[in-house]
Amino acid sequence: MLRYLAGKAGRAVFVVWAAFTLTFILLYVLPANPVDLLFDPAEVNSVPPEVKAAVAESYGFTEPVLVQYLDRLGHAVHGDFGTSAQTGASVASSIAGVLPATLGLAVGALALALVIAFVIALVATATRQRWLRNLVESLPTASVSIPVFLSGILLLQIFAFRLGWFPAFGERGWQSLVLPLVTLAIPVSGPIAQLLVRSFATEFRSGYVTTSWAKGATRARIIVGDVFRNASLPALTIAAVTFGSLMVNAVIVETVFARKGLGRMTQTAINTLDLPLVQGIVVFVAAAFALINLVVDLVYPLLDPRLRATLAVAGGRGTR
Amino acid sequence: MAAAIAVVVIAGIVVAVVRGGGSGEATAAGQPVRGGTLQFALIDYQRSPDPQWGTNYAESLIGNNITDKLTWQDPATGEITPWLAQSWEYNSDLTEFTFHLRRDVTFSDGSPFDAEVVKANFDQYVHGDPALGILPNGASLLRGYRETQVLDPYTVKISFAQPLASFLQASSFTANAQPGFLSLSTLKLSADQRTDPTKVIGTGPFVYESWEPQVKTVLARRAGYHWSPPALHHEGEAYLDKVVFNTIPEASVRTGSLVSGTVDATLDVGTTDEKPLADQGFQIIHRGVSGTAIYFAFNSSLFPTNDIAVRKAIQLGWDRQAIEKTILTPSYSIAKSILEPSVPGFADYSGSVLRYDPDQARRLLDQAGWVPGADGTRVKDGRKLTVKLLGISNLVVNKPAYESVQQDLREIGIDLQLTVVPIPDYTAQQAKAKTDWNITAANRSRNDPAALTLQFGPSAGNSTYLSADSTDVDVNEVAQVLGKLETTLDPATRNAYAKQAQDILLEKYALVNPVYNPSQVIAHAPYVHGIVFDAQSRNHFVDAWKNPGN
Repeated sequence: MLRYLAGKAGRAVFVVWAAFTLTFILLYVLPANPVDLLFDPAEVNSVPPEVKAAVAESYGFTEPVLVQYLDRLGHAVHGDFGTSAQTGASVASSIAGVLPATLGLAVGALALALVIAFVIALVATATRQRWLRNLVESLPTASVSIPVFLSGILLLQIFAFRLGWFPAFGERGWQSLVLPLVTLAIPVSGPIAQLLVRSFATEFRSGYVTTSWAKGATRARIIVGDVFRNASLPALTIAAVTFGSLMVNAVIVETVFARKGLGRMTQTAINTLDLPLVQGIVVFVAAAFALINLVVDLVYPLLDPRLRATLAVAGGRGTR
Repeated sequence: MAAAIAVVVIAGIVVAVVRGGGSGEATAAGQPVRGGTLQFALIDYQRSPDPQWGTNYAESLIGNNITDKLTWQDPATGEITPWLAQSWEYNSDLTEFTFHLRRDVTFSDGSPFDAEVVKANFDQYVHGDPALGILPNGASLLRGYRETQVLDPYTVKISFAQPLASFLQASSFTANAQPGFLSLSTLKLSADQRTDPTKVIGTGPFVYESWEPQVKTVLARRAGYHWSPPALHHEGEAYLDKVVFNTIPEASVRTGSLVSGTVDATLDVGTTDEKPLADQGFQIIHRGVSGTAIYFAFNSSLFPTNDIAVRKAIQLGWDRQAIEKTILTPSYSIAKSILEPSVPGFADYSGSVLRYDPDQARRLLDQAGWVPGADGTRVKDGRKLTVKLLGISNLVVNKPAYESVQQDLREIGIDLQLTVVPIPDYTAQQAKAKTDWNITAANRSRNDPAALTLQFGPSAGNSTYLSADSTDVDVNEVAQVLGKLETTLDPATRNAYAKQAQDILLEKYALVNPVYNPSQVIAHAPYVHGIVFDAQSRNHFVDAWKNPGN
């Protein structure tokens, strides 16, 4: 069990280190001179060479690449990713500044997506009407295939510009969160709902359900009491996928609704080749991914007795 | 489905009601009224509240409203007029400029604006401060800056290592990384500390109230302000209580917010939105971006643009009217020179080298030995007439305009290959431009003919890669002619030098192909008045006001 833990934790640390190293190689070694990126692109050619040299010196770009790498890695271990080239603010505080906004949006959208997904799965499982079941079961596919950009603009046109129910941009209390949450929840709910519909159906036909039927339980009692609990577990496995989907779509949602957040900061950082900021964000996102996977890996044996048994027998060489 | 229909029906009714009840007749522009908040939308946001730092449009725009400059350039005439400096003189070499400052100007923290603070600003602006993390933002604007001497409490002398006539215009510069004055207390702060807007102190008509990166910047009226540029004829404080700069990246949300009344004005209006907004009663105001046109800079040391016949054929080979008709709106214009028409010294080449004459272009190519190949692209010594262009996709008009040029050039046997990419990719490719790209397409915003020296001078920007490898070009001659622009401030002589510089870039060596003049376009509600476009086409709100009740 301990080796299982150590192995999983080691893998997480490796992923974060690899993200740091890869971005360092991509950003500091491959493209244009990093000094050029500190100036206005329209003027970079007319900045006097001696000025560029002085800046390169003060930023440490004249050091050998390996020294720069080790220096930056050493600082990064302590959470110091330097300062953003475009704002002069520290990378860590820049990320910390937008994180609550993105987290609030992501957690809210995930909660809403879960509600949508469970409603879809419950309706699909509970209904005896074939047409209704078909309709409901097709919703997840539809929700994934509508571009977030389009659904966001549509919601804005109707509920912000036409009806005036919600603000169109910026942050003005809870009203500003409604449309972005709905927009972001729609695509995220798709994969979860698909998984739930399938496992609900499987569980509904399994042995213990037949037993409950035999004991005279009602359809509702079976769905809530047996199927719901057992079918919910697999949803955990798509947590990482959902996280990715949240991050990607957050960029678009934040842009359309002019909200502050990590997604837009990433986009701006890439658009301006703000190297320290890009690196900080990549490492942060990699760490978040690794952490989520680690938690899922660690929680799974707790929830699934079969896996726990395997681990105990194999001395940690589990199949997962 | 039923729900969707219901929503649409309700939406229709609400719109009808709002339109019917709310369309009050716009009060005619009369006497300015004090008070009110202007909600302004734009695409970018301020990444740092420090106006000397920023290199995007939002940063220069907002910086202009919280800081002032030594001088004000008249946007109509290009003349340099007083502002924080009441008068000035310069030596005959144009290496020393002496400014006599106003004595009644204060920063918003109460500290005086004087010679010491001018010196502290220029020193840091040009040299930066590595300990504070401040970059040498002004190094390219004030090339060869030597020092600022305090002659008396309200007189400064700024000196340069070589003649810099364009410094006079630079003292009024309002675009990116501008010389807006900051208080001594602000100059002591690190770049990180300057992201606290309450500590960024200027002398401008507005002060920072709040700054939310990515979302908005709120400015409030500066009490006691009474030193706006005399040329603006504005007395006393700004009219508006507040200006809110809302960042809205998505175009349809900007126009939707304007139409629904959430914002009063928006910058960054797309070409396709101009007419619909005007039809709905919104006013479109615009100004061409002073400086150079959007141009193709030919790489003079790379095949095949090292052949002057090819460069001349590209200048002649495309239909400017077609672009004006199908791609540009009346807010934009087709280029008639490398300089934009508002820049002093502009000369018109639309009747000579910048005309559409495909037959002449063909003749030039024939004479130079370019023969039509099997696939239509001309060939010389077995090598194809393929021209690779690197452009930026940041302006929506760029790509369609370049495509129109590409189509026309194909007719005369030139294969123009377009790579139009976002700014970071462009910046990365620029390092390889000398060896990889025949054309780099760009522009530069600076309302002074010396923009040509900066951008094309062999010892400065050198956008056409003049070198010993450049054939058919006398590099020394180009350097000498462009350099002359920095040697005089006599208007007549300077205009003559500007003409010579345009002649040599456009006619003699055909080093550039100007395409169109970009523009800054604002749409605003009819009750908004007095938004000023300055010489760099940035906006000032000191004179802006709204009709009461809006």
